[in-house]
Amino acid sequence: MNIEVSRQNLYLLILSVILLIFVLFFSFLVLIPQGKQYREKRVQIKKEEGELKVQKNYNNDTTEVLKTLRNENKNIIASFANTFDAKRFKKLHGGYFSELVILKTPDEYKKDNFSVYSVKAVSKINSPKTFYNFLDAINKTEWIISINFPIDFKRDGEVISSTFTMKVYSNAVDSNLSK
Amino acid sequence: MTYSYINPREKTLITSELKLLFIFFFITIIMLLMTYLFLTYKNYSFKQEHINIEKTKQNLTEDLNEMNSDIKFIEKQSAVSKKIFTQNTVLKDSITNMFDLVPERITLSEAKLLKNGLILYGITPNKDVYNFMLQAPLRSIFHNTYSSFYPAQNGWLFFVSKNYIEDDISEDDSNEH
Repeated sequence: MNIEVSRQNLYLLILSVILLIFVLFFSFLVLIPQGKQYREKRVQIKKEEGELKVQKNYNNDTTEVLKTLRNENKNIIASFANTFDAKRFKKLHGGYFSELVILKTPDEYKKDNFSVYSVKAVSKINSPKTFYNFLDAINKTEWIISINFPIDFKRDGEVISSTFTMKVYSNAVDSNLSK
Repeated sequence: MTYSYINPREKTLITSELKLLFIFFFITIIMLLMTYLFLTYKNYSFKQEHINIEKTKQNLTEDLNEMNSDIKFIEKQSAVSKKIFTQNTVLKDSITNMFDLVPERITLSEAKLLKNGLILYGITPNKDVYNFMLQAPLRSIFHNTYSSFYPAQNGWLFFVSKNYIEDDISEDDSNEH
C-alpha cells in the first residue's frame, strides 16, 4: 500500500510532533514540579499563618496580663525603682522622732536579684506608740524597707532612744547613698 | 495560453494549516508560560511570606520572653514586698506585745529585741513581783529564760532578763544574720 503524503503535510506533522513533545516536556519537567511546590507551599503558609495567629493571640493575652500586673503593682514597682535618699526619708518620717540619724552601713548584698543595703537608724522617740506609727508608715513609704532585728530601746531621761537597722530593697545597686 | 479556468494558487511556505497550527501552539505555549510565571511568582511570594512570618514569629517570641521575664520580675517584687510588709507588721505586733507584757510596777531601762530572743533590763520592787508578773508570761513565750538580779540603791532590784526561743542562744546578741 502506498500512502502518499505531501511534503507540506509531512512538515506539518513533524512540526506538530515537535511542538507536542515540547509542550509535554515543559509540562512534566517544569510545570508539574512547580505546581506541586506551589501546592505544598500554600498548605505550609496556611499552617504558618494559623500558628502566627495563635501566637499573636497569646502575645496579646500576655500583654494584657503584664499591663494588669503593672497597674496593680505600680506603687511597688516605683518603690523598687527608687533610690534611697536619707534626706527625703528624714523629711518624710522625721516627724515620728525627736531626733533621727541615718547611717549607711557597708553591708550591701544581692538577695533574690535585688540589691539590699542596710541603713542604721539612731533615733529618739517620746513613746512606743510613735514607733508603732512609724512602722505603719514604713509600709506606705517611697521605698521597700524592712525593719530588722536587733532593735534596741533604751531609756534616756524622758525619751526612749532606739537603734535599729533598716534593709532597703532596690532594683539597682546604689553607689551614691547619701549619708 | 491558459490551461485552466481558475487562477493558479500562489504557493507560500506558511500555509493556512500551518498558520492554524502555529496559532494553536502559540496559544498553548503562552498559556503554559503564563501558568509557569504565575506559579514562579506565587512560589516566590510564598517564600517571602514565609520569611516574613518567621521574622514576625521570632519578634513575637522575643517580645513574649521579655514580657514573661517582666511578669516574673513584677511577681517577685510583689512577693518580696508583701513579705516585707508582713514582717514589719509582725514586728510591730511583737513590740506592742513586748511593751504590754511589762507590768506597771516594773520599770524597763532597756529592751533589746533579737531575732531569736528578748533581753530586758529594768528595775523591780522585789523578786516576787518580777517572777509572777514578768517572768511567768515570758516563760510561756520563750523556751529559755535566764534572769539575774543585783541590788539598787533604793532597795529595789535591778534585773537582766534574757529570753530565747529554742536553743539558739547567741553570745553575740547584736549579730542579726
